Amino acid sequence: MLKSTIELARYGIPWLGPAMAFLGGLALLAEGKGQWPAIAVIFGSVLSAGGIYSLLRSLRKGEKERALLDVRMLQSHKLASLGELTAGIAHEINNPLAIIGREAEWLEHLLSTMPPAEGVPRKELLESVREVGVQVNRCREITQNLLSFARKMEPIFQKVDVNRLVEDMVKLVETETQGKGIEIVRDYQQPMEPIMTDPPGLRQVMLNLLNNARQAIEGRGQITIRTRALEDGRVQIAVEDTGCGIPREHLPRIFDPFFTTKAHGKGTGLGLSICHGIVDRLGGRIWVRSEPGLGSTFVVELPATPKRAS
Amino acid sequence: MEGEMPKVLLVDDEERFRVTTARLLGVRGFQVGTAGSGVEALEELERNPYDVVVLDVKMPGVSGIEALAEIKRRQPQVEVLILTGHASVDAAVEIMRLGGCEYLLKPCSMDELVEKIERALERKAMKEGSEEKP
Ligand SMILES: Nc1ncnc2c1ncn2[C@@H]1O[C@H](COP(=O)(O)OP(=O)(O)OP(=O)(O)O)[C@@H](O)[C@H]1O
Ligand SMILES: [Mg+2]
Repeated sequence: MLKSTIELARYGIPWLGPAMAFLGGLALLAEGKGQWPAIAVIFGSVLSAGGIYSLLRSLRKGEKERALLDVRMLQSHKLASLGELTAGIAHEINNPLAIIGREAEWLEHLLSTMPPAEGVPRKELLESVREVGVQVNRCREITQNLLSFARKMEPIFQKVDVNRLVEDMVKLVETETQGKGIEIVRDYQQPMEPIMTDPPGLRQVMLNLLNNARQAIEGRGQITIRTRALEDGRVQIAVEDTGCGIPREHLPRIFDPFFTTKAHGKGTGLGLSICHGIVDRLGGRIWVRSEPGLGSTFVVELPATPKRAS
Repeated sequence: MEGEMPKVLLVDDEERFRVTTARLLGVRGFQVGTAGSGVEALEELERNPYDVVVLDVKMPGVSGIEALAEIKRRQPQVEVLILTGHASVDAAVEIMRLGGCEYLLKPCSMDELVEKIERALERKAMKEGSEEKP
């Protein structure tokens, strides 16, 4: 996060100067101090719009750099932070962009209502200031694309019957385990109050955990799925397997993106990091208990209702 | 009411944006008041009548959403137009729930803003019309 702030500042500084020239010139112009301020305003605004535009482009276009940055950011255990960062940048830029656009419109108004004066190339000034507007629109398209990308990652909370959702996913995985010596045991607390959560997100989490459990079992074994409601309404979902277990030294790393012990082409190492990101966004927690050689238990705990995002 | 300039209250914490947008709205034939925060907006609404409030929902102090709820509670006849650099599903849902007002994303051109304000004025006129002749 700090790194990206520094990066943002580095890109941001080049257009600060022009922006100041723009505002200063505008102030002088408003006081009727002749044509030079007008020219400062135009250059300032063109340059600052250009600066913002190139910042946005470098954010969007540098896919390769982005990919690298992504990997580093993913290390912080949060896949979700990419979406948050993107939305944050887009929001921060929309406000100055709105000001630049508005000032350009005001300038256009002033220029077009100004009586013709000797030596003032009014037509060119107008053309130039309109170009600022065009470029602001271009930036706006980019920030809005960034925002809609980020929005896709936002959960949509609704009433969910946890047992039913869990059972749907268990059934799905059961079709894979049938006839392979893996027994599935269900231990659902009934009845259970529905909770407010994001169904597609929770399904994804369950699927990843169940697949990991299945893959951890070599030969015969058992997967137990438990649901429990705590007194304060929180809900816990546990996926317990009698598989290989997780060596102590791997425990701190299993939620890291790209950490995998599976053969090439078998695992990407993204499953648990995605789970972690989703559970985070749902306002919950995920943790693991494991005994090497005996098995592992992953527990997902979710609030009855998510705390309001501020 | 006929012939009078429609009154717009512009609420935004960015001073420069407020000043210039107010000037341009003036040029377009609106009578404009401004406020730099939700609290100022509520105070200004107590002092002077307005037809439309243009509100930025991301402001320090009372958040725009809280201000919106309070405006709707105190003066349900005022139309509110949300203008913001932020857009999240949560905020949009909340805004709709609080009175179905319109939503405009920053940056927006004066043409877009004026169009939305005019639509809000039409809605207001329609509501008042239907109240007068039941
Ligand atoms: N139930 C489990 N039992 C034993 N080890 C596990 C279990 N779940 C995860 N692990 C360990 O954690 C690692 C990371 O899991 P994760 O789901 O993130 O990735 P993956 O399963 O390797 O690949 P992917 O899920 O992307 O196909 C696994 O490679 C494995 O070593
Ligand atoms: Mg996995």
